[in-house]
Amino acid sequence: MYAYKLDNNPYPSSPTPTERDAKILGGRRHKEAKSAILECLKELNGKVKGRDSGENDFRTITVIQDVGSGKTHLALHIKNLKGRYNSECSFVDLSTISPKTMSSIYNAIIKGFDNDFFVQLRIKFLEYIKERAEQGDTSAKKGLNYKFVNKITGLTIKQKVDDIITGKQSVSTENLKEFLVHKFNYYESTFIRNVITNSFESIGNLEELLGMISAISKLTQRFLGKITLLEIDEFDGNKDSIEFIKGIINAHLPACVLLLISTPSGYAEIQNINPSVFDRLEKANYKIDLAGSNSVDELAEIIVEYIKHNDKNGKFGLKEEEELCQKINLLYGEFPEFRSVRSIINILYHAMEKSSDLGLEKIDTSVMDDAIKQTYPGLRIKGSIMDVPISDFMAIRKNCDECSNTKELKEAVYNLTNFAHKMGNICKLEKQSLPLDVIYQDPFGAKVGIAIVTNIDKASGLDEISNISKSAVVDKLVILTNQNIPSPYNATIVNVDKSKMVDLIYFNNKYTKKKIVESDNQRAEILARTLNII
Amino acid sequence: MIEEILQKIESAGVMGIKKVDLKKTYGKDSEEIIERLQNEDKVFIEKKGVAYFVWTKDNYISYLTENDPRFKLMLNMVIGVNQSIVRLKEQTHTLRQEMEDLSLQGSEQSIDFETEFNRCLCESGTSVGWAPFSKIREKLCRNTNLSKEKFYALATNLIEKHHERYEISSGGPEGVVVRGLVHGYVRNV
Repeated sequence: MYAYKLDNNPYPSSPTPTERDAKILGGRRHKEAKSAILECLKELNGKVKGRDSGENDFRTITVIQDVGSGKTHLALHIKNLKGRYNSECSFVDLSTISPKTMSSIYNAIIKGFDNDFFVQLRIKFLEYIKERAEQGDTSAKKGLNYKFVNKITGLTIKQKVDDIITGKQSVSTENLKEFLVHKFNYYESTFIRNVITNSFESIGNLEELLGMISAISKLTQRFLGKITLLEIDEFDGNKDSIEFIKGIINAHLPACVLLLISTPSGYAEIQNINPSVFDRLEKANYKIDLAGSNSVDELAEIIVEYIKHNDKNGKFGLKEEEELCQKINLLYGEFPEFRSVRSIINILYHAMEKSSDLGLEKIDTSVMDDAIKQTYPGLRIKGSIMDVPISDFMAIRKNCDECSNTKELKEAVYNLTNFAHKMGNICKLEKQSLPLDVIYQDPFGAKVGIAIVTNIDKASGLDEISNISKSAVVDKLVILTNQNIPSPYNATIVNVDKSKMVDLIYFNNKYTKKKIVESDNQRAEILARTLNII
Repeated sequence: MIEEILQKIESAGVMGIKKVDLKKTYGKDSEEIIERLQNEDKVFIEKKGVAYFVWTKDNYISYLTENDPRFKLMLNMVIGVNQSIVRLKEQTHTLRQEMEDLSLQGSEQSIDFETEFNRCLCESGTSVGWAPFSKIREKLCRNTNLSKEKFYALATNLIEKHHERYEISSGGPEGVVVRGLVHGYVRNV
């Protein structure tokens, strides 16, 4: 059992998405992109419905975004959609084709379709030939290998076709070719024959490739009443890829939508290598904008969507969602490493696995920490002097903005000076009734006063503290603050930013629990120095 | 002979050497030499008790500061002044550096990097909004005389500070480095 009582780990672990992973699509921007693609399919579908498609029935869509932002996931999700506005889809990853010959690209396009697509087409093609044969077309009968002996044994044409569909009997390839060549153009007849015989011929050049793809989209529209969606992933500056795409765009494939997926660097390569193709892409019918696809709210929505999709027991409520989003927010804010869909999903996958191992009910900071250590072993919190573990960091940062923090901060500074006193760096003095938080004598005999100011209203006593700086009560006054305050006369202002605040509170937690170990001594000393405590 | 006498006086240290002892060692002529050295401020003679003692310059100062509180006081004052001068020099140096930094910051502010960057980004982007950093850098540095290093330092800060406003993408010949990867493309969100 995984966290939130999930039966399975909802997150994928593969470095690139699979069709199975892509069934779930989260995030507002990704959903908007999906809507835009579906809108394009709907529009073209409506246009070609009930008529033969022509050269104006071709659309181009581009998706240009950084690696790991969910482009491929989006394309695979669209491919998996049942309600895809009467379209058949082939997904081709150009990076998996090498060398990029016309033949290998064609094979990839064929493989990119679902098997069911060819099953349906085969049935439709055979039914078409059957109708012709039943109408007395001898050539069609010959194509079906329907002979006189079949007739006298009582086998009808329909039964013959049924047997061919189930694989009990086969067509006559030569006669079928003869029949088709009179009804269709060369490429269409070749494709129909290939589909019926389940054997695809090799392609020799770009002209043949374009002819075959054109035949696929045209026949798909004619026989299935569907448009064709070609999803081409990892399109970049490769010359063969560019030549192929240029040919497809120029060919105006009938009833076809070409979805091109690239990265900004791939797009720039295309611009440099072939300005005319780049110009065609710039004039694409639809430009899917995934701007903000790596924003924190988008990532949080995606993360939540995976859990919700798998939450059959309804254990993932609003509170759990809020807690998880807070953790994602912190990770996102502090670590550039976790600002992409891919990287954050990877962490969540490992965190889920840990939660299952430890039998946890939810993903807490410690499993997040373990997951990060496992997947990003060298990762450190930027600017942390105390080498704060990520789990502690997340827990402390969560409370950093709360009011109770002032008390905690004062206690931390008090204890840090105690520590420095014990280490022999300073000599702590009684602060008497002075409005200071700590007074000590430095190694040179100077009396140093420390005041902590976390707000600048009257209650902070900033005026009183400022007066001390003018008197001779202390030789040196240090004001530790997280506010933007004017520097009083002769006082040293030390800015306690969030990273120092986390360090201080982490030190204090360890100090009060008597968990300071030898390796912490030097770090605590450096922390004290940066805060002018030593 | 002069050198020998000077060496003898020097070797006597802070205590000095009796003039009469020098006369005994180097003969009557030594008197004339000592007088000449005194005129040249190379040696100093002072009466201690019933005898005249001779010192070299440094030893004489040490003798005076050790035995005469007035000299001791004066010397301390002089050292204090010297130290003040050194400190003043250091402070002047620091101030000059700070002023230079401030003037540099001022010039950066007057450039208003963010505005310039956004302007160049708008001008360099494709229809999908992405622009190569190299193009932006070329334009911005040409207009503002910023170095390449300074440009990327400022661009990295700007993007990290406003990571919700900008998107960066890996690849390209130059750019900001994130997670050890060159991100050569940027766009406004």
